[in-house]
Amino acid sequence: MTDYVRETHHEFLAASKEALADPRLQQILGQLGDTLGRRNREAWAALPNSDLIRERARAIKDQTLAELDQHLETLEKNVIARGGHVHWADDGAEACRIIVDLIRQRQKPARSVSGGPIATVVKSKSMTSEEIHLNHALEVAGIEAVETDLGEYIIQLAHHRPSHIVAPAIHLSADQIAEILSKPAGKRLPAERETLAQFARRALRQKFAEADVGISGANFAIAETGSIVLVTNEGNGRLTCALPRCHIAVMGIEKVIPRLDDLPYLLKVLARAATGQKLSIYTQLITGPRKPGELDGPEEFHLVILDNGRSRILGSPLRESLFCIRCGACLNACPIYRSVGGHAYGGVYAGPIGAVLTPLYDGLSANHHLPHASSLCGACQAACPVKIQIPELLIRLREQLHDEPEQKSRFEALSYGLWAWTLKRPWLYRLSTWLATRTIGRWKRSDPWISRLPGQLAGWTKRRDFPTPAANRFRDWWHKEGRNESA
Amino acid sequence: MSPRDSLLARVRQAAERGRQYRVHLQPVPAEIGYLGAGGDLCQRFAAEVNAVGGQVFVVADLEAARQRLQLLLQESGAKSALCWNHDLLDRIGLTELLTSAEVLTVNQSQLAVLSMEEQRTCVLSCDVGITSCDRAIAETGTLLMCSRPGQERVASLLPPVHIAVVESRQIVPDLIDGIRWLNDQGLEQLPSNVTLITGPSKTGDIELQLTTGVHGPGKWWVIVVR
Repeated sequence: MTDYVRETHHEFLAASKEALADPRLQQILGQLGDTLGRRNREAWAALPNSDLIRERARAIKDQTLAELDQHLETLEKNVIARGGHVHWADDGAEACRIIVDLIRQRQKPARSVSGGPIATVVKSKSMTSEEIHLNHALEVAGIEAVETDLGEYIIQLAHHRPSHIVAPAIHLSADQIAEILSKPAGKRLPAERETLAQFARRALRQKFAEADVGISGANFAIAETGSIVLVTNEGNGRLTCALPRCHIAVMGIEKVIPRLDDLPYLLKVLARAATGQKLSIYTQLITGPRKPGELDGPEEFHLVILDNGRSRILGSPLRESLFCIRCGACLNACPIYRSVGGHAYGGVYAGPIGAVLTPLYDGLSANHHLPHASSLCGACQAACPVKIQIPELLIRLREQLHDEPEQKSRFEALSYGLWAWTLKRPWLYRLSTWLATRTIGRWKRSDPWISRLPGQLAGWTKRRDFPTPAANRFRDWWHKEGRNESA
Repeated sequence: MSPRDSLLARVRQAAERGRQYRVHLQPVPAEIGYLGAGGDLCQRFAAEVNAVGGQVFVVADLEAARQRLQLLLQESGAKSALCWNHDLLDRIGLTELLTSAEVLTVNQSQLAVLSMEEQRTCVLSCDVGITSCDRAIAETGTLLMCSRPGQERVASLLPPVHIAVVESRQIVPDLIDGIRWLNDQGLEQLPSNVTLITGPSKTGDIELQLTTGVHGPGKWWVIVVR
């Protein structure tokens, strides 16, 4: 099994340590803030009323979620009215099964006996398909799935997971990419961007020409028209639903928006947040299969609507995480992401929003480091096109962690219990502060930090120092001098 | 209950429960989000096309557009052109221009007689795509293109060069105007594919450096007829 399908959970701290010691990765992560991060900040600065526009985008998401079931039903009705098909999937496995079955039904008998793949599928970049490990499911079913976004193509060949929501191969250098692409090229390619991109163009054109099915995600789905909206910069998203005879789109339930008129506001903030563009290069509204007389576009259109835990989140205090439009701006803004990179997070979604989404979709206890992988500085929220209060959500998750059975520690419960018991008794509290100042407070007057606490408490000082109590208590100082000073 | 119904029932309950966690929003005046283009739409559109990496040629009339197109075809060295059927292209005499320039014209009528496989090979081998658009958006430098029989989506996608001829009356100020225009055509009439194109095909996937022409056209030339 390759790294592409995650079997075991990453240990965030160990993976971070490794990432911090990798000079190549550190260099590219350093550039991230100066490129995408800077473009995002400049885009907000250049956009008049950017805060209110983001507020409008946020309002669209909030209102839609309040009546999500109705919008989904409208979407379904209109997709069908336009000749498309709608499939509902409770979880990732179900979505994969639906997609594999759809492809198998189209399978030409002649191809299955040849021993090669039973069908070739071209894929446009989709985080949702990563989330459900669709490529793995297709591979197991004997279906060749080719990622066509340049970054995704590279990491698929290398068997890596994406390390950034919009720049999935950001962890690789041009040299490494040249090495990866040299394999399918059958010759040594130079580490020149143009050459590598042109090789990928030619190789993938061939795949587009052969493929029977195109699979994409959806950035948005418009309920009143039954359209899905796909945003790309390379054009692979357009090829995916122009050439193959069948187009399958997979989307989470939260992607729906009620009206066509809502779309421009979301497009305006999405492109600016993702790459600092006013609009991404290609935005497509896809409404059903091709119409009679058209010579391109799919003959069949299928929309797979996925829950995979989202309905659980919708009714919870973490509901706001469903506003996310997957732009990656919070990654570029985050001091933690920019130090450790995407792979340290161990999930499909990295960065601040990944630290929220991965525990929600994949289990809180299994990803218990992630809610703590943040300094809560708020840069993510400031960069977010829909102003998700990511620090608040992370704090919520930290709270919830305490109720996870696997996370419960008797020692911790005992310590906090003792502490609470003391605080509730003023005489005891006074005594303990008096004792603390007279002992440690005075002994450590010259160096007021403890770098290693004894026993089990050492866990606290493993990654930070503990401040010693002051040499004098505030209440003593107040009685002696403070009172007079204020008068 | 079918899987669909149980999923929707679950979403209904969750949406209801989730209303207690709705976020606090500031009121947003209706005009917020509309940026407009200010001043001369043609000029603004041209400036934005250049800014996103396209090349724009603003010409005075149809004759000038024809001449410019001829020059661009020469520059591209194209042997075959994948063309839209479009009133504006007819008016500048595209077919005659291509014939005199010895460029093979490929459009719907030629393609319609071919088999699927032959069509595919034919469109994949064209050197340049020539289209107009439905609307152009000045604020962003965007072409809004609807797919219809005779106005294939591949014309602006497969060839390495895309040339679009736009008339000034097609230009609207803001993306919101473009979407409103679509809305005004009637939602039941919405074409199977509407594409907004804002620049030549680009990627930043190798070391965050921009590289053009990875899947779509690397050259994006727009002729604006005033």
